[in-house]
Amino acid sequence: MKPTNFKHLFSSYDGNENLFDEIFDKKQNVRKVYQKLFDIYNDQSIEEFINLNNKAKTSFFNQGITFQVYSDDKAQEKIFPFDLFPRIIDANEWKIIEQGVLQRCKALNAFIWDIYHDKNIIKAGLVPMELISSSANYLRQMGGLDPVGGIYNHISGTDLIKHSDGKYYVLEDNIRCPSGVSYVIYNRNALKRSLFGVFNHYDIHTVTDYSENLLEILESVKPKGVDVPTCVVITPGVYNSAYFEHSYLAKTMGIELVEGRDLVVENDFVYMKTISGLTRVDVIYRRIDDGFLDPLEFKKDSAIGVPGLFAAYKKGNVTLVNAPGTGVADDKAIYTYMPEIIKFYLGEKPILNNVHTYHCSRPTDLKFVLENIHNLVIKPVDEAGGYGISIGNRLTKPEIEAVKKVILQNPRKYIAQPIMSLSVHATYIEDCQSFEQRHVDLRTFTLLGQDKEFVLKGGLTRVALKKGNLIVNSSQGGGSKDTWVLKK
Amino acid sequence: MYNYTIKYTAENTYENPVFESFWQYIVTPQNNSTQELNSGLFTVSEDALVEKSINGYNFETTRIHTKKPFESIAFEAVFKLTKTKADPFKIDPKFTIEDDYKAISVLDFQVDYEAFLSTTELTTLPKAHADLFDFDMSKSILDNLKKLNTWVHEYIAFKEGETTSETLLEEILEKKQGLSPSFTHLLCAIARVNKIPARYVSGYLHQGDGFFGDSQMYAWAEIFVPNLGWIGFDPANNILTDHNHIKVTHGRDYKDCEPLKQLLFSYGEKKSKCVVEVTYEQ
Repeated sequence: MKPTNFKHLFSSYDGNENLFDEIFDKKQNVRKVYQKLFDIYNDQSIEEFINLNNKAKTSFFNQGITFQVYSDDKAQEKIFPFDLFPRIIDANEWKIIEQGVLQRCKALNAFIWDIYHDKNIIKAGLVPMELISSSANYLRQMGGLDPVGGIYNHISGTDLIKHSDGKYYVLEDNIRCPSGVSYVIYNRNALKRSLFGVFNHYDIHTVTDYSENLLEILESVKPKGVDVPTCVVITPGVYNSAYFEHSYLAKTMGIELVEGRDLVVENDFVYMKTISGLTRVDVIYRRIDDGFLDPLEFKKDSAIGVPGLFAAYKKGNVTLVNAPGTGVADDKAIYTYMPEIIKFYLGEKPILNNVHTYHCSRPTDLKFVLENIHNLVIKPVDEAGGYGISIGNRLTKPEIEAVKKVILQNPRKYIAQPIMSLSVHATYIEDCQSFEQRHVDLRTFTLLGQDKEFVLKGGLTRVALKKGNLIVNSSQGGGSKDTWVLKK
Repeated sequence: MYNYTIKYTAENTYENPVFESFWQYIVTPQNNSTQELNSGLFTVSEDALVEKSINGYNFETTRIHTKKPFESIAFEAVFKLTKTKADPFKIDPKFTIEDDYKAISVLDFQVDYEAFLSTTELTTLPKAHADLFDFDMSKSILDNLKKLNTWVHEYIAFKEGETTSETLLEEILEKKQGLSPSFTHLLCAIARVNKIPARYVSGYLHQGDGFFGDSQMYAWAEIFVPNLGWIGFDPANNILTDHNHIKVTHGRDYKDCEPLKQLLFSYGEKKSKCVVEVTYEQ
């Protein structure tokens, strides 16, 4: 018997029908895939749920699942906010996502190869040379270099959103050092610990196979002549915001986690210093940005890199994953050309939609952007983590003027997109002790290796925890949900 | 045939011991159609691992790694090489001035030579100086470049002390003085603005014939002239390059060609001295 003052979890859920709700349709009926889950959760009282939520938080804290938030004056270590209500993606919907992100990653790989070789897409007049040559991430040292298996973007994180039309759109392709996959796995573990029973009602794909697939990808791109490669993960160190992930991936792959000072280059081979002497290293999953990899080739003052590493890479004695110079293709200005890029290299139509993008480097686009800032999102082309983004309809007049000034100083650095309405998902909000609608996105993880490809069946659903907020990045105070991909 | 011996020496002393250090020199003369390296010997005063390698732009590097503490270290590189006279230009009489400008306006050409057409931080002409030198389209590209070479030579005074290899053009144009890297940066900047590929060359100059030179590495430009290829221009001396110019490396600007990059684990003051001697043997 339930007490008379029993309050359902969703009793104060206020559905805004102008937004696309992942759980409720326009008539506020629960969507079919969520029905069972909804019934289970709605059967709980708020007190029971608060209790459960506190346990989950303690579990994250005890496992040290934290990340750093940087602000102007200090760095802060925070527990990764996790929501106990999972997001569900049905098999048919997932099929489109999986094919779509794979298509994009392959097209981007072909694009990067071309940009560092014959530059056919530029000669065909489809992508302007200026866009490439002015990119801070275009590494001319990569010109003519053939990475093992022709793979540059071994690991990609594609950010998707569902718009109010119910369709998926790609927001960003992250092909430098995308992070977040360790949270996907921990979210699953945390949910299993807290609510094991709910898994009995759904047949969902595992996400814990990521590390073994990643190791296979790393091994598939071993240098020529190596039988059993030694792979390592290199991290900038404990102060990096994603250090937890670096150590998690190394641990679950069963390989060493190293810093620059643990490696040394001799005669263009890379060695790891161990207590029993030097051990040759063949594949490096590097979580250090291009510029810091090798102080003798790139930034002179980098003390986190390995002197001579690039020369070893160039000679084919070690494989770097991802390849240096991939950043030229995840520049947000290149994003606009994705439909052309997919068509040019694969001869296919894009499976996933692109958000219309205005380039401030184009005079006509710039004019439009300056006149319509209040309806647009302004993004710097080469920043990650949601930094430097201005959302037009949230700006005051003086702020709009300030943004205009910043754009005009360096138009090439900015793009603008219509304000996309991210779908919303019921999310538990601690302050009001109830479920509320919050905007969500989805980061998928794709791996490309020699004769092997893999898309993690799941992903990181990031939640903007502030009401109405559209920026979901964890570095900006976002949370996350376990993401279930249903089997047929 | 001209035989040269080049001696590059560098001495560094430190206030406190250096525990570990990495050095990368790009000082070895290149083998190309006008120069042949006969021998190269690199010695280090301290116990160190010395290795030959290549950098990202395919030029030879000498990498040194010391693992024992030291307070002073000296490097010496001795190169012997033979230089031949470059063939005089064979200008194709059928190639008209219009052909010249047509060649550089083709998209494929602009894409293939992109690296040497785009400006870099060190080869950006300040807006106020955008029209310093105008190309005369009724004359060939080669004639214009010769004129530009002379113009740069006259516009800046060759003077040591106030500028470095990494001084921006804004300051160079204001002070109107600099050393060979600044002459080269200005020449490259103006060529590139006019859509002509230009690259920065780092090497040695034999000063026996009374040329202006630097006590360390010397810089000049190679500019791509359609129908002729890369032609060497030495704006600091107002000449086309000849057998006195010994090439080591090229790049978009000085930063691609830095003769030395280093990473030291130490603290405190240091003193460095670097000397280059180029001697000619008959």
